[in-house]
This record gives sequence, structure tokens and C-alpha cells, in this order.
Amino acid sequence: MTFFRKKRLFILLIGLIVLVAMIGYSLRDREDLTTAEQFIKDTVGWSQSIVHKPVDYVTTVFENIDDLRNTYHENQLLREKIAEYKSLFYDVQKLKEENVELRELLEKKKSIRSYTPIQASVISRSPEQWMDQVTINKGKQDGVSANMAVITSEGMIGKVETASPFTSTVKLLSGFDQFSRISATIAREEGKDIFGMIEGYDEKTGNLVFKIIEESDKDLKEDELVFSSGMGGVFPSGLPIGNVKEVKPDQYGLTRTAFVEPVADMYDINSVIVVEREQTDDNNDDSEKDEAS
Amino acid sequence: MNRILIPFLLFLLLILEGIALDLLPVSLVSGELQLVPHWVLLCLILKMMFFDREDANGSVIYGFVFGFLIDVVYTGVLGVYMFSYALVIYIMHGLIKVLHANFYAATLIGVIGVVLADVFINLMYSVAGISEVVWNDYLIYRMLPTALANGLFLVFLYPLLVSRFVKWKEQRGSGGSAYF
Repeated sequence: MTFFRKKRLFILLIGLIVLVAMIGYSLRDREDLTTAEQFIKDTVGWSQSIVHKPVDYVTTVFENIDDLRNTYHENQLLREKIAEYKSLFYDVQKLKEENVELRELLEKKKSIRSYTPIQASVISRSPEQWMDQVTINKGKQDGVSANMAVITSEGMIGKVETASPFTSTVKLLSGFDQFSRISATIAREEGKDIFGMIEGYDEKTGNLVFKIIEESDKDLKEDELVFSSGMGGVFPSGLPIGNVKEVKPDQYGLTRTAFVEPVADMYDINSVIVVEREQTDDNNDDSEKDEAS
Repeated sequence: MNRILIPFLLFLLLILEGIALDLLPVSLVSGELQLVPHWVLLCLILKMMFFDREDANGSVIYGFVFGFLIDVVYTGVLGVYMFSYALVIYIMHGLIKVLHANFYAATLIGVIGVVLADVFINLMYSVAGISEVVWNDYLIYRMLPTALANGLFLVFLYPLLVSRFVKWKEQRGSGGSAYF
């Protein structure tokens, strides 16, 4: 009897020590996953991509039925939008050409706006909802690496947390904290842009916290669009992040914080684009290495 | 045969857990409620009640292995699910000796197991600084919905699995391994 009690206690204590060691190991700032973890992730990811297809098919059928009800109304709206876009398209085309010409004049081919897109689709979402992460079916073999931005057609949804050879894990914006910041901006005319950092996510309101660091123009309005600024050296600039919902001064009244509602839907994601920032010609991006790390 | 089938079944549930939230309507998932599927745990509890011998600890080892897989694949924080599942199955193993193996007992044990495991997981996450939630909020927004959803899933899983487990147990007869 005493022998068994002792054995049990012994196992429990050893277990606790191993548990603490393992949690400590995995919470450490790891550059890369171990080979075993990568192998498990790829194997499970491969099986998930098989199971995901029929499931996805069924859910889209239901979604389509749901969509059918709003079609008429949406169609009218879209017609109006298209008429606007036609003239906008012409403008954009001209501006692009002009931009290329000017860049050639300056001999500066690539800007911090340019990126290489990698198409991927979501194969699973973590059932543990503290984590806010999804798995996509592209990995190192396709050129994905950690800390790349991930977007949908609507806007930014997150960044690559870890990459295995054939799958990778994406951390959604709703899981961002002060350790994964995005340098962001609100575009204004004549160099009056507002700069700041997205420094986390407010669970209660579902908004991103945008700390304005530049002592620039401060009359923020609601519904202004916040973009990534590309100043951090990791994400390219010009990715839409969200709309300003509310502006508050911080507790000392020195800086102001805007609450930004993400434009992209974090819950209904099927296909995403991993954004690989192209190296700019002038390599002076070691200023803010801590972005997204 | 069932030596391969049971790990395969658990692996299938592990994969389906990753798709579970896509199946639910978006309005339910995007709100404050957190529904966490613990299907692997439920399946292990059923296996323990209807397939294992009374003195066998195989389910604890399965809980250890599949909990580890969940940690690697879905959370990236190793050890949390692994130890919670193994510990809960060990505790439940002691508890089922006092109950008859029937539907009501299975539901009761399953829900208690899920609640215990989820509390352990949340406790470890809050110690590690991953979840920063008040325990009152946790109770309303995560524990109750999770317990309810998993209880429902257990009711759905019970008729599918239990008859098979009982059949396999009879097939195994007196021979075979005492552990798996």
C-alpha cells in the first residue's frame, strides 16, 4: 500500500516537473519548431486537407442558400459601385504607369509596397480559442516563412507564426499582443499622415488597439481606414487593417489610442494570401526589427 | 484489428476537432462564447468504460499521446492538453468503479471529465499568461457552453461507438493485451 502511494506521488511530481519544463520550452522565443513537431504538423495537416474538402463543400452549399436571399439587394448595390469603379480604374491605370516611369527615372524599381503573393487555403482552425490560430496548406517548400503577413481580399488577417515544410500556422489579428506589433498609418494629404503601432487586441470590444506615436494631426475621424505602413521592415505597406471606431487619450493624456475594427472577417476564412515582402533596394530596414517578432 | 482501429478513430476525431468550428454558424463562434471540442477525451472515456478491463491503464497512455498531438498541432504550447487529458482519465478511471456502465453514467462521467479537463487547461494557460480572464467570466462564457456542447456530442457519439466497443471487448475475450 505505501509502496503504491509513493510510486503514484513520484510519478505525479515527475509529471509536474516535465510539464513545467515543456511549457517553458514552448513559450520561449523559438526561431523554429523541432523536426518532430514539423513532421506531426505536416502529417496531420495532410490528413486535414483531405477531410476538409467534403466538409467545405457541404458548408458552402448551406452558405450559398443563405446568400441567395440577399442577392437581389446586393446586386443593385454592386451595379452602382461598378459604375464608380470604371472611372476609378482608368485613374489607377494612369497613376500606375506614371509611377513606373518615375521609378525608372529614380532607378528605384521596388518599393515597400511591392510583395509576392502566395495563394493558400485554410485547412483547420485551432479548437482552443485562446490561441486564435489557423493552419494553411502552404509551407516552407512554397516560400512561406515566419512573420509574413497574411491577407484576404478584404484586408489583413494575421501573420505566419511558424512554418513547417508543407503547412504553416497563422496567428490571427485577434490573437495579437504587445509582442507582435504592426506599424500602421492613416493616409492624409501632404505628408500629414498619422503614424502609430497596432499594439494588441481588445477582447471585450473586438477592436485592435492603435497607439498613435507621431505628434501629427490628431483629429481622427471615425471610419478612417488604417493601413500597414511598412516602416517596421517586415510587412509591406498598404495592406488595409481596419476602420477607426473610437479615439481615446491614454491614461497620462500624452498619446492617443484609436480602437480599430478589423476590415477582414476573422471567422469565415477560406482562402488567404501570404504576402512575401520584396527586399527594397535601399536596405535600411534594421530600424524596427522587433515588429512582429 | 481494434488495435489499429482505436488509434485511427482517435486520430480522425483529432482532425475533425480542427474543422468543428467551421461547421457551426459564424454568429455563434464570433461572439464571446467559447466552445471547445474535447472529442478525443470523450471517446477515450467511452473506451475506458466499455472496452478496457477494470485494471487497465491503456486509456491514460492514449490520453497522454493524443493530448500531446493536440498540443503540437493546435496550440503550440506543449504539455497542457497532454497532462490534463492523462490526469482526467486517471481520475475518471477511479470514479467509474463505483458506477454501472450505462448511458446515464457515461454522460455524467463524460461531462465531469470535460469540465475537469477544461478547468485544468485554463488553469495552466492562466498561469502561463496565455489566457487573462476572470474566473467568473470563464465559468459563463467558456465552461458552461463547452460542457453543454460536449455533452450533446457525447449523446450523439454514444450509439455510434458503444456497441462497437462492447463487441470488440467480447471478441478480445480472455486473451490479448491487458493494456490496449
